[in-house]
Amino acid sequence: MAISTNHATSLPKTCLPSFTALKVPSKPKNIHLGRPGFKRSSISCNVTEQISTVCNMNGRENDFTTLQRPDSVGRFGQFGGKYVPETLLPALTELEQAFHSLADDEDFQKELGGILRDYVGRESPLYFAERLTEHYRRPNGEGPHLYLKREDLNHTGSHKINNAIGQVLLAKRLGKKRIIAETGAGQHGVATATVCARFGLQCVVYMGAQDMERQALNVFRMRLLGAEVRGVHSGTATLKDATSESIRDWVSNVESTHYILGSVAGPHPYPMMVREFHAVIGKETRRQAMEKWGGKPDVLLACVGGGSNAMGLFHEFVGDSDVRLVGVEAAGHGLDSSKHAATLTLGEVGVLHGAMSYLLQDDEGQIIEPHSISAGLDYPGVGLEHSFLKEKGRAEYHSATDEEALEAFKRVSRLEGIIPALETSHALAYLEKLCPSLPDKTKVVVSCSGRGDKDVHTAIKHLQV
Amino acid sequence: MACNMRTDLLAGHLIGKRRTGDASVVRAVLVDRKTIVKNILGSSNLIIRTLTKPQVETVERDVSKGRFGRFGGKYVPESLMTCLGELEAEFNSALRDTEFQAELATALRDYVGRETPLYFAQRLTNYYKNSKGEGPDIYLKREDLSHGGAHKINNAIAQAMIAKRMGRKSVVAATGAGQHGVATAAACAKLALECTVFMGTKDMEKQSSNLRLMKLLGAQVKSVGGNFKDATSEALRDWMGNLESSYFLTGTVVGPHPLPSMVREFQSVIGKETRRQAMERWGHKPDVLLACVGSGSNALGLFHEFVKDKDVRLIGVEGAGFGLESGGHSATLARGDVGVYHGAMSYLLQDEEGQIVRPHSIGVGLEYPGVSPELSFLKDTGRAEFYTATDEEALDAFQLLCRLEGIIPALEASHALAFLNKLCPTLPGGTKVVVNCSGRGDKDVETLFNHKFHSM
Repeated sequence: MAISTNHATSLPKTCLPSFTALKVPSKPKNIHLGRPGFKRSSISCNVTEQISTVCNMNGRENDFTTLQRPDSVGRFGQFGGKYVPETLLPALTELEQAFHSLADDEDFQKELGGILRDYVGRESPLYFAERLTEHYRRPNGEGPHLYLKREDLNHTGSHKINNAIGQVLLAKRLGKKRIIAETGAGQHGVATATVCARFGLQCVVYMGAQDMERQALNVFRMRLLGAEVRGVHSGTATLKDATSESIRDWVSNVESTHYILGSVAGPHPYPMMVREFHAVIGKETRRQAMEKWGGKPDVLLACVGGGSNAMGLFHEFVGDSDVRLVGVEAAGHGLDSSKHAATLTLGEVGVLHGAMSYLLQDDEGQIIEPHSISAGLDYPGVGLEHSFLKEKGRAEYHSATDEEALEAFKRVSRLEGIIPALETSHALAYLEKLCPSLPDKTKVVVSCSGRGDKDVHTAIKHLQV
Repeated sequence: MACNMRTDLLAGHLIGKRRTGDASVVRAVLVDRKTIVKNILGSSNLIIRTLTKPQVETVERDVSKGRFGRFGGKYVPESLMTCLGELEAEFNSALRDTEFQAELATALRDYVGRETPLYFAQRLTNYYKNSKGEGPDIYLKREDLSHGGAHKINNAIAQAMIAKRMGRKSVVAATGAGQHGVATAAACAKLALECTVFMGTKDMEKQSSNLRLMKLLGAQVKSVGGNFKDATSEALRDWMGNLESSYFLTGTVVGPHPLPSMVREFQSVIGKETRRQAMERWGHKPDVLLACVGSGSNALGLFHEFVKDKDVRLIGVEGAGFGLESGGHSATLARGDVGVYHGAMSYLLQDEEGQIVRPHSIGVGLEYPGVSPELSFLKDTGRAEFYTATDEEALDAFQLLCRLEGIIPALEASHALAFLNKLCPTLPGGTKVVVNCSGRGDKDVETLFNHKFHSM
């Protein structure tokens, strides 16, 4: 889940006056969120005095059904916002206005629906994983019922296309002729190149030179689809440098160019837009669950890198307090090692990529290079709405190591004949800990966010198949 | 020992006489009861059941006996006859069993991801418009979106379910490009069946990504020197050694009856959906159906529904490889002669001595020296037309679809797309063309990358 990194706005903490940690403000018990008098300045942050405690929602549905997420300035509680250079603010405002106007535009909705159906292949099935369910059945015959939401069947093989399609249609509406994106492993780049080919737009993908070498096949794929892939050699020549370059490009070409951001992070309105374009996942799930067993899911389980597939599944059900939301991050070599990407578990609040969220940073506020065997979870930040849901206690976040993910990858391949992406495998890995605790016949829906064809080399190497 | 194939016994409809020689693969078979057949399956001499009466060509297909005019049949050793009879009975019973059908429908919907879209390829349509702005409307039937990335799974899941129904514990299959191998491995994993896939060493090199996928899905992959035809012979041999416990899961519409009919039946969902989707979309049937032809499973899957609709044109495109004159191609219907291969009578690529010619195509799934008996029949009766596309034309078409529609097609499907160049200028404006996009090209990207595809 490639994200834009904006060096200019991912403030090292030492830049900020007189404190070393950007702390979380104490939470008011009421639900009035947003900051009256919050200035829309180019870079700002909140200084607080104490770390808040997690708010226990006590199952009060009202809090989430009526809550405006985000509020009018793009905040989810204290998270979110628009920490960007002045030059980008008009573009963000234009984007937000265009997005809101399209929500009511029937032609747009019809066009989007048609493309999701005929091009992407929606709706994706809600598949009852019989052998996986049997695997987790306890000796007394009881156990949860496991369903996979098959985003792996989408065109290009993951959920990413939902957002790429939505954003490219939006860009066309805005009269943009040029699309830019950055990419780490290449999946977001491929999805972007795909939609640009489909709609005849010029496409430039920025990729760190190091990543280009490691992911040469994806570079080739993007070029086959007609995209220009530009190597970035500055810094560590990886994702964050590619992102800086993208931002630079966008700042200089804001009139003609739309920046397709890949996940629910970044400055407002991106997190909201990306979530809305993925929300189809949850909407379909609600309807399919009703058809299949006449009720709602009891537990929703998804992997979290930036958080877009998780938000896509969760969003529809955030207001249903009887639906448990579980996100699984990458623990890499283990939470004790320094090689992981478990932002919500081990991170602290700060500003990254234009928004306030949890992130992996050291004592000097420098971004820690994350690690996960799955490139899509290899991200030092996390979607700010996840930060919000965690803080509110509405969603719970756990993690799975590289090894646990590989085991799950193999298990699901062998039991269901479905090869999940390594990212998805993190969610599937968590079933080991989750299932024994679930009452009989609990309905669990796992977001099968992508297929694992791209991970076959890695898996074979590690699993020695 | 050379044997003569007495082709004149077949009511004079076959072309010429030829000798078959010694070899370790399936040979053309005799129809004279007195003659011993050499090397039907492997190197043993087996007496096969032969026809006692001259074959009378019928215009109508006699599907219950597996005959399509003079094509098809069951040219197999006695030991297989019972097995095939059993399979046919099971197949017919499954077709009538509402519970089986419901279970299959659920699997197709939730596991495979059906129905696949009928996608209007706007930019491809525009590309083929002439200077007056007229041209056909091009639709793609998106079998590339199926689980596993090709149409093969439609058949694999259904047959794996039949294997279970018959109480078999293990499945054996042969694969060329690997798509059938992957589909079979996936279906077996889902249904808890042991799976062994035979694959030619040449194919393993060319489609190594599929090889890895099969292993991850838990299948045992056995290599066989050569390519698909050799893998098939080996798989059949393996099956014959385990007839009680094992199930031969055929991937395509060749082989002895009832295999071609079974596979065609399970693939026909493609055409059935297309009819309904076409009706919804433009209130009528398609005008032209276009599909690539290796052995013919995706083509028949699309065509079958419309065979009786004479106003629907059926067009198959084979692999011309390096060119039809080069000798390096897979254009069985264009250049083959009639003979018996892998248990059925059909067109096949054979030399003057009846030796099977090794086919070539950049689309590995098209590299089969035989072809479906049913397609042979459709060709002979003039119901369907068959053309070819070279490797180069297929690569150009591959590139075009990537750039215009953001869809990376399989190299096999690219042959059908390549034919649009010749077809579109001849079609009146507004003609509805449905191309079977039979698979996605991710498996080919790696091969092309490794061979440094130069037009980048």
